[in-house]
Formats: sequence, structure tokens, C-alpha cells
Amino acid sequence: MDSRRFRHFVLCGIFAASLSSFGPGAIDAQETAHTPKPPPKLLAPRILTSPPTLADPKRPASESVPTFVDWASRSVIGQREEARKIIVAARDNPAVAEELCREIFEVQKDDLSRSLIMLSVLGEMRNPDGGKCLARFLHQPFPKEGTVVNGEIVEQTSLGVLQAKAADGLAYAHTESGDREVLWAAGSHPSRIVRAEAINAYLWNHQDSQAARKTLLKVVRPDERSFLERPRHAAGMSREDFNRKLAEYAKMHPAPKPVPRIPGKLTIAQGVGDRPPPKVEPTPASRPPRATTEKK
Amino acid sequence: MRSTLSRLITTVALLIALPNAGLAVCNQSSVSQADSDLWALHGCWQDFFLWQYQEYNMSSDDWGNRGWNDACNDNFEYPKTWNAAYLVTYGLLDNNDQSFHGTTDYRQLAEAPDSNFKDAVYYDATDATNIFGSFTYHWPGDDEITLSCNLFNASVLNANPASRAGDFMHEGWHGWLTEGNWDNGSAGGHRPCTPHPDGTCTNGACTVNGCDYFYFHGIGVYAFGALYQTDGTAKRFHSPNQVQVEFLCDVADQPQSWVPASVRQAAAADANQRAAQRFINGPGYTCGSPRPW
Repeated sequence: MDSRRFRHFVLCGIFAASLSSFGPGAIDAQETAHTPKPPPKLLAPRILTSPPTLADPKRPASESVPTFVDWASRSVIGQREEARKIIVAARDNPAVAEELCREIFEVQKDDLSRSLIMLSVLGEMRNPDGGKCLARFLHQPFPKEGTVVNGEIVEQTSLGVLQAKAADGLAYAHTESGDREVLWAAGSHPSRIVRAEAINAYLWNHQDSQAARKTLLKVVRPDERSFLERPRHAAGMSREDFNRKLAEYAKMHPAPKPVPRIPGKLTIAQGVGDRPPPKVEPTPASRPPRATTEKK
Repeated sequence: MRSTLSRLITTVALLIALPNAGLAVCNQSSVSQADSDLWALHGCWQDFFLWQYQEYNMSSDDWGNRGWNDACNDNFEYPKTWNAAYLVTYGLLDNNDQSFHGTTDYRQLAEAPDSNFKDAVYYDATDATNIFGSFTYHWPGDDEITLSCNLFNASVLNANPASRAGDFMHEGWHGWLTEGNWDNGSAGGHRPCTPHPDGTCTNGACTVNGCDYFYFHGIGVYAFGALYQTDGTAKRFHSPNQVQVEFLCDVADQPQSWVPASVRQAAAADANQRAAQRFINGPGYTCGSPRPW
């Protein structure tokens, strides 16, 4: 075989190999590459044991409260009852309630998830001073300005979520003053989030009774009466029970048939979610014509 | 003098080498309690994030100045993102009797590869604070999921692992809508609200500008792995906010036994505020418990 014929043979071979890389074999290989890789096997998570006390006679509340909150925040479902017992044991300790209250107001704008935990602990305590603190928290003025996302002021939502947790605590207190605050919140709080949760908490703490519904109907806004009917999904409830309640609710709140997109190429606006479509400035095809040519 | 000069040259070289270094970024000195609590369970698990960045198609180009090279420092955005991915990957109980959907659904929806749920995606980040996250369709190429500082700065409600992961679901579902040719509305893939003279803006029971329908379905109606299915009617369909609420409720009520209280509470709070504000055909159900603890 002379060198020209040999070169021709080699080139044909390279060309054939290139073609075969576009064949079914390549597609198979790609599909294999797209198979998700399994994640590494989970290592045993490090769960805290031995809870600290909330009301510790050997330490000031300024030390025992944050230590307990650190533990409670990390605690797991299996430790829920243990945490409740410790919280209840501190019920008559005004220093603990006072310290929780101080810290809640201090961190509420810095860390929402820690604030939620502290509001939960304070609500679970059912301490009279704690109740006053929760009421004060509930009445904090709503921010009028802030970071806007989809027309929603993020600072309002954040405060609303915390105030909803305060409403949970007031409803759980089962006191006249606590219920009064919750009923006020159910009808008159500026946040829909708080109104919704106040309704939910009031009903739950009154065993969803007809009497509680009647009381709520006197204060709830007419366009928010559906908040009294909505199902509550809770850990431990039976699937059948939830599904039955949900089916009844869904009949009253139907959704229309989903809308298919008109076939064709996606427009720029259709190709984005949760953000405005990018602005596309039309680019002129050429400079516009002019009547005269400037003389140099 | 020479040492100062060489330090200057090194700094300039590093600034050039590290993409976007030195630009404004999210608050990188804050971490939420819920992020810290979840983080403490794994203590920065290298094998996991080395798997995660590939499965979520994240790259140093997009995350270089957000903790890419400091992946065990949970003040940064990338570590916070993989912390949320850890929750998605391992944190759900998959209880047939009580979970809305299973880990297989949520993982396929969140992770990058092309699947029954959506086309392939990649994740990047933005300093913009006028969104939580966003979805952008690209052709050719992978679609884009963008996460904003509102998912990272601890002072914002959504800056916790559950809400961040909830945003993976929400944005992923925009991918599902795009892939399936569904029109969910003109307000960034949602229905717009109508402004009123008193300054409010509503659409039915929805009070934000980005409303969805809640296509209610019971527990067990979807087998695990079947979330992507639809029959084209309201009986078997999902909207982005609905998928997000269902995920958050599964974290709140059906988590693995080791998921911390702060993560569960944040999930319930986010689910409930979303259910109260974002649905046209009435508020969604509540989850979690009204008992404070």
C-alpha cells in the first residue's frame, strides 16, 4: 500500500469513527450519563441529648434561657414532650419569662427562626408576664416600607409570621385576656397571616366547637370567613380523616381547568418565572437614511 | 516596598482569577438558627457537598464569591444552599399515610438533570432582593434557577433550609409548567392581582401579585414518584405555590426523626403564610400545630 492510499484509508477510518459517535450508541451513553448519581449514604446525624433546665436556680435567666433555647431549637420530635415538661416547670418563674421577652424583641429583626423558637417557648409557658409580652409583640406596628417582592413587603411578612406565633401562645394561654387579644387579631390585625392564624389557634384551643365558630363569626371579616372552614393537616391524623375534610373544602373552593399554552415558540415573558421578563431593546437594522451628506 | 508590591500583584491576580470576587454579595456574616441547627447534625459533610454540586449543576463561575472555596463556612450562600439540599435528600419520612409526596419527587424536582419533571437546570445566585428565586428558560442550554439574598440573609423569614428548599420546588415547578406547555399566568408565571384604591391588590382570596390556584388533592392520591403526572384537569394538577406548600408541610409534619425543631417550625410558618396569601380559590389548609411547642 503506497503512502497516498494509506493516508486515504486512515482518513476514511477517522470519518467513519466520527459518524458513529452521532449514532444510537452516543445517545445511549448520554442517557446513561443523565441517570442521577445516588447520594452518599447518610451518616448518623449528631443529636443532642441531656437537655439543660430553663429555670436554673444556680444560674441567672440571662444564662439559662439562651442555653435552653439553643437546645430546644435543635431538639427533635422524640424530645418534644421532654421539652414541654421543662418549659412547664419554668411556668412560675417571672425572670425566665422576662428574659425570653427581652431576647425576642432583641433578635426579632436579626434571626426569624430563633425568634419563632423563643415565641414558642414563651407561649408554651403560659406565664402571665409572658402573656403580656406576647400581647405587646402582637401589637407592634406594621412596617409600611421595605423590600418588595411580588407586591409583598418582606418585612411585613416576617413580622406577621412572628406575630402569628405570638397569637398561638395567647390562644394557648386560655385566659380571658389572651382570648380577647386573639379575637382582636382574628378580625382586626393588619396582617392576613396573623388573622388567619388567630382564627386557626382560637378554634384549635376551643376544640373546633360551634360556640367558638359563632364567637369568631362576630369578628372575622366577611371575605375571610372561609378561614374558619379550612382543613388542618396535623402529624398523626388519619389519612381518611384529612382527605374527607379536604374533599368537602375543595368542593367549596374549586379550581378551574388548567390552561394549556398556545402552541408555538415561548415568548420571553413566558420563559421566566417569578421575575420580570428581561427588557429587549429593538436594535435598528441600519442607520436611518439622511437627506444630505455633510461636507468636510 | 517589594513585599507590598508583590502583595498588591497577588491580590490583583486573585481578583482576576476568582470570578466576580469583590462584587456586592448577600449578608455573609449571618446564619439563621435553623441553618445552624441543621448544619450541626452533619458538621459539614464533604462527601455530600461533593455530590451535591454536581447533582444541582452548580459551578464556581456562579458561586465563586459565595463560599465555593469555603464550603464548610455556613455564613456563605453556597454552603447554605447545600445545607438545604441535605434536607431534601435525607430529611423526609416518606410516610404513605401522611406525606403529600415522597423524597423521590422532591429530589427530581430540585436536582439538575433532565427528568419526568423538567428539563435540565443549573443553579446560580443574585444580589437582587426583589425576588426570592426565579426560573429562566433557555434554549439551547440548561434552564436557570436563580436564588436571591432573601433566601440567605438571616433577617428574612425565608433564609432557612426548609424555605430555601421550598424555593427549589417552586422554581422547579415553573420548569414543569414550561416543559408541559401550561400557561399559569402573566405575572412571572403566576396570575396577577388587581390593584384597589386602598393600596391592596387581590385576585380572589390571593393578596400578592403572583397568585396560583390550589388544586387540592388528598394524601395518597399521588404515588411517590408520580408528582409530575397530570390528566389536564384540576383534579390532577399542581401550581408552583402548591408544590411549595406541600413540600413545606411534609417537612413540618412528616420529617425524619432527627430534623430540628427550628427547621420544622420555620417550614410550618412559611407554609401557613403562603397558604393564607397566595391562592385564588381560597386559603390552603394549615399544617403544623397551633400549640406553641
